[in-house]
Amino acid sequence: MTNHAYKAARFLKNEERATWHDKTLWMVRKKRDLMALDVPDWEELREQASQIKRHSLSKLDDYLVQFEEQAINNGAQVHWASTAGKLNEIVYQIIKENNASRIVKSKSMLTEECGLNPFLEKRGIEIIDTDLGERIIQLKREPPSHIVMPAIHIKKEEISELFHRELNSEEGNTDPTYLAATARLHLRQKFLEAEVAITGVNFAVAENGAVVVCTNEGNADMGVHAAPIQIHCMGIEKVIPRLSDLAVFTRLLARSATGQPITTYTSHYLNPKPGGQMHIIIVDNGRSELIGKEDYRDSLKCIRCGACMNTCPVYRRSGGHSYHYVIPGPIGSILAPHSNSKEFENLPFASSLCGSCSDVCPVKINIHGQLYRWRQDLSQQGARSPIKKGIMKVSGKILASDKMYDWSGKVARWCIKYLPRVLIYNRLNTWGRERELPEVPRESFKEWYNKNFREGNKNGQK
Amino acid sequence: MDRNKILLNIQRSRIKPVNLPEPFYSAEKEGDKTTLFKEILLQTGGDCIEVNSTEKLNSLLDNNFRGATDLRRNELFKNFLSYSNKDSLERLKTVILEGQFGVAENGSIWIDDSNFPNRLIPFINEELVLCLDAKQIVRNMHEAYLRTDNAISGFGVFISGPSKTSDIEQHLVYGAHGAKKLIVVISHETNLV
Repeated sequence: MTNHAYKAARFLKNEERATWHDKTLWMVRKKRDLMALDVPDWEELREQASQIKRHSLSKLDDYLVQFEEQAINNGAQVHWASTAGKLNEIVYQIIKENNASRIVKSKSMLTEECGLNPFLEKRGIEIIDTDLGERIIQLKREPPSHIVMPAIHIKKEEISELFHRELNSEEGNTDPTYLAATARLHLRQKFLEAEVAITGVNFAVAENGAVVVCTNEGNADMGVHAAPIQIHCMGIEKVIPRLSDLAVFTRLLARSATGQPITTYTSHYLNPKPGGQMHIIIVDNGRSELIGKEDYRDSLKCIRCGACMNTCPVYRRSGGHSYHYVIPGPIGSILAPHSNSKEFENLPFASSLCGSCSDVCPVKINIHGQLYRWRQDLSQQGARSPIKKGIMKVSGKILASDKMYDWSGKVARWCIKYLPRVLIYNRLNTWGRERELPEVPRESFKEWYNKNFREGNKNGQK
Repeated sequence: MDRNKILLNIQRSRIKPVNLPEPFYSAEKEGDKTTLFKEILLQTGGDCIEVNSTEKLNSLLDNNFRGATDLRRNELFKNFLSYSNKDSLERLKTVILEGQFGVAENGSIWIDDSNFPNRLIPFINEELVLCLDAKQIVRNMHEAYLRTDNAISGFGVFISGPSKTSDIEQHLVYGAHGAKKLIVVISHETNLV
């Protein structure tokens, strides 16, 4: 079994770590709240962001062409990739044409989605992730578990051990400042040697061809400005119309992501450095098809802040790896089934549908609504187990009939009270696997109400 | 080929047009912009020094940052290209740059190609000093992008505090890859009689 519930159960086996994970992400969520409350008109700002994105998606072809034209005018080279494989090929071609072998990369969920690293490694090209969290998981050979905090599942003792083994740091020194300094020295060397720097893209501005990248560490800039060749990889949905729209998104992004007023660096790249090359690769990989699906189109508004993960009671208690998709959490559970509805059919069910994700989303994606929509679509495609299907059918009948409902309540109360434990806590009772059932009341609410308050009864005048 | 394929695919699912909303200007917090700027700058891990004249600014920089590379000086800026390979840049300890304008709501400062002769300079040093005229502080990002007047070209960046990371158990560490320290010197011109 590779479904979410199974992997979540494995994550929860280490109770101490699971509790730490839950609390830490909740702390980030609270920091986000303080920031949101501090901005006058925060809700109007979200609405504005949502409208800009909806508009951009409705004219995406025009804006992409405008962006391309401006970028070429600025001196950049623009490439188009309809699939993940095409993106990898284009990057490989650029590297080969320039006889390069030393590559650094800053955070890019898109290249993660497209499998760029394994593709290049198979061809003998080493690619170094330079975001500290990403470098940690790269050395550990693990996928990210969060889109903003990729190593949030790893403890400092493990990082200390890893750095001692891989980077020759002091054995047993778990001081985060020391470990970060070790990584700084190690990666500084990589920056200075690199011939090609690859980045993701937060925003692409149609009116002036700017590529905007936001980081706290400064790793995108160290890479881009040190290497002669810079490559920016962007999904087609990253383009926004105007420079003034950037104000809306830069105000929302870091506040929603980590509770900072803005990231340390908000970099605008328009042309290559003297003697350098600037490549922009525009990637589709299924996105243009998603635009056509009205119920799900809004998921393309996502600016990858991770707020929906930090707030999600299921994500916080199951960890990013339990989703087994490149983007975990609520937004990932909407996006994953588009790439493969069979493999990821269980993800839309990994939610309590509490709606907290939609409440914090800076671009107002109706995340829990889409999760609910997916459940219906997937159920029609036969995603539910025959057992669950049967239970639903019976429940539907019972809930539709007054008499059946009253009777089944009585039976259930009697059974829980008098039947032996082994019969009740059976394989079908998944609730009872980790928890005790509640104590059974003597009577139902309806019975109690009728007895005490119904007109004509002794207490009816109260 | 991929270009047309992607564009056609988008056109095929042509959706109902949605209007582009007018640029947005939100109401802002009351209060003095410089005070707010300073407050947020300190929160982001930056340091702040205030001076009230150009002479004071220059003497402060001379005294406190002796040996710093002051790229506000024209001669230095112009001659810089001759020795700006990566390894010599790596040896820069303290760099002083002119900041173009600050943003009160997030304590960031805008600089672009006109402020440094090599794009690595704001990032590769140990300690970055940005000088800012108090009159050049705008309230928020809406005003900030208006302020750039659509004239962004080449490379430009908002910098807010020193480089930082929280990737190890959410412990905040300054100096991930870029400058470990950021000092903003705000000058108030008080020589208006």
